[in-house]
Amino acid sequence: MMKKHIPQILLILFFLSPLNIFASGAEGSEHTLPNPIMVIPFAVLLLMIATGPLFYHHFWERNYPKIALALGSVTVIYYLVFLNDTHSLLHTLAEYISFIALLSSLFVASGGILIKVDKKSTPMLNVLILLFGAVISNIIGTTGASMLLIRPYIKVNKNRIKPYHIIFFIFAVSNIGGALDPIGDPPLFLGFLRGIGFFWFIEHIILVWAPTLIVLMAIFYVIDSRNKGEEVPDAQYSGKIEFKGGKNVIYLAIILLSVFIDPGILKWVPSLAPLPFGIREIIMFSVAYFSFKSADKKILEANEFDFEPIREVAYLFIGIFATMIPALQLIAYESKVYGQELSPGVFYWATGVLSAILDNAPTFLNFLSAALGKYGMDVNVKEQVFQFSLTYPIYVQAISIAAVFFGAMTYIGNGPNFMVKSICERAGIKMPSFFGYLMKYSIPILLPIFFVIWLIVFYGKV
Amino acid sequence: MKTLDDVLKNNLNGLHYGNRILLPFRVDILKAVVEKEIIMDFSSTKSGASYKICDDYTEVYFYDYKNLSEVVSEFEKIKLVVVEVGKDLFDFANHRKLALHTEDKHKLTITEIKDDSLLFLE
Repeated sequence: MMKKHIPQILLILFFLSPLNIFASGAEGSEHTLPNPIMVIPFAVLLLMIATGPLFYHHFWERNYPKIALALGSVTVIYYLVFLNDTHSLLHTLAEYISFIALLSSLFVASGGILIKVDKKSTPMLNVLILLFGAVISNIIGTTGASMLLIRPYIKVNKNRIKPYHIIFFIFAVSNIGGALDPIGDPPLFLGFLRGIGFFWFIEHIILVWAPTLIVLMAIFYVIDSRNKGEEVPDAQYSGKIEFKGGKNVIYLAIILLSVFIDPGILKWVPSLAPLPFGIREIIMFSVAYFSFKSADKKILEANEFDFEPIREVAYLFIGIFATMIPALQLIAYESKVYGQELSPGVFYWATGVLSAILDNAPTFLNFLSAALGKYGMDVNVKEQVFQFSLTYPIYVQAISIAAVFFGAMTYIGNGPNFMVKSICERAGIKMPSFFGYLMKYSIPILLPIFFVIWLIVFYGKV
Repeated sequence: MKTLDDVLKNNLNGLHYGNRILLPFRVDILKAVVEKEIIMDFSSTKSGASYKICDDYTEVYFYDYKNLSEVVSEFEKIKLVVVEVGKDLFDFANHRKLALHTEDKHKLTITEIKDDSLLFLE
């Protein structure tokens, strides 16, 4: 069992090696720009994530952890040996641990909750579930909302389920829904940590969020109304909504409150630096452990709880986080060089397109930094970020909306997308491939909506 | 020869050995799900799965796994849509959903998936 995790442990040890921690400069130190050729491991990993399940399925299923770790190691070795830049690695490791702590704890805690909705599936009921999910994703995060609602949503639709049901779920609940506050999606949380007000997002994004969801739901309603499904003549529905696993709601609440246990928000919280994690991550992993150990076995069985979906995300994203370091640094550099010429519209598209294939949190931060740089402000100074969000809200709006919304464009755009896909496949639902998702759903449905948002909100603005 | 109902009623078990399972009744298999692998093509003898209906039992081979008990975790199940031999395959009322779980000593528990239990769609 231990043998299986050796490559993962080695990669983490690389990150954590004393050479790494103590040889590097201080926080925020300037680092040498990577050679653009070092973007290749990231491109290869993305290409394999896209083509593996399609063209060499069995090889991919057996070897994706090794591939992700091997490609990640190429970047890690390059930074250690050639750039002697350990700061970037440690910083990325801290972000990865934070990412996986939140995702895994929400995944485990919500796995101990069982919701049963005994109602007849109708397009209107589905729209209501999706809207409910979109709203609560701002309270329990897009991951929490996705994990909590995906199973009851599938069960309600069991006689007429089609891939589009799941895709619209990913669009609305796993991504777009969570754009209203820092809990919703990690990029906004990073913005909050840097100085943007907690309620700034709801104030400045709701007028884009609400029409986007209404249009999305209208499209869904039309498609779903044409799906008559399988008629079950004797089916009777009690109309009841059953909820089991109440104590896990407390665990969920602890995870969400722990999001704020950060030395950047609460001064009394001790920093564990140079360790690449903090008290928050310790709490999250502990909650994951205790919620699993104390969960009702019958609920776990009914949910077919398994660690594989989170294991898959953990392996793929350790590769993605490591290999994307050069790409993000080059983007950050270019955006600073050309920052003066960038309009809110350009920030919107650049952040969006990159958030669809990169992790949206660092992408958000890099473009926020570039936007601030345009006006001689620094992303590391909280007061300046706060002031910037009030004086030039259009930039923060463009970057925030794009980072969250475009995460729905691909399976890898946001952590929960992959987990939802995995749960559906385990339930016997054949999901579209990476390209199928892109060509059949996100490009024809989402891209025109995102284009209209740009046209109405950002086009021609300077 | 036992029927599927006999097996379910009397909580009888099947067997598993490596990538092979033995069901103590005779069925045609329409769909199988192992982990997130959805198998509907049973024609190959190299990948996916194939099954053979014998006199008293049905045996299934899953070619992509060496040992099913290592793949199927504590709360997970192998899921099948089956139709008993002799019954009309084209009548959906005859389609039965089964959940199989690998236990120690090669024991394979067999339960029927009712509408409100496991999440498994045909």
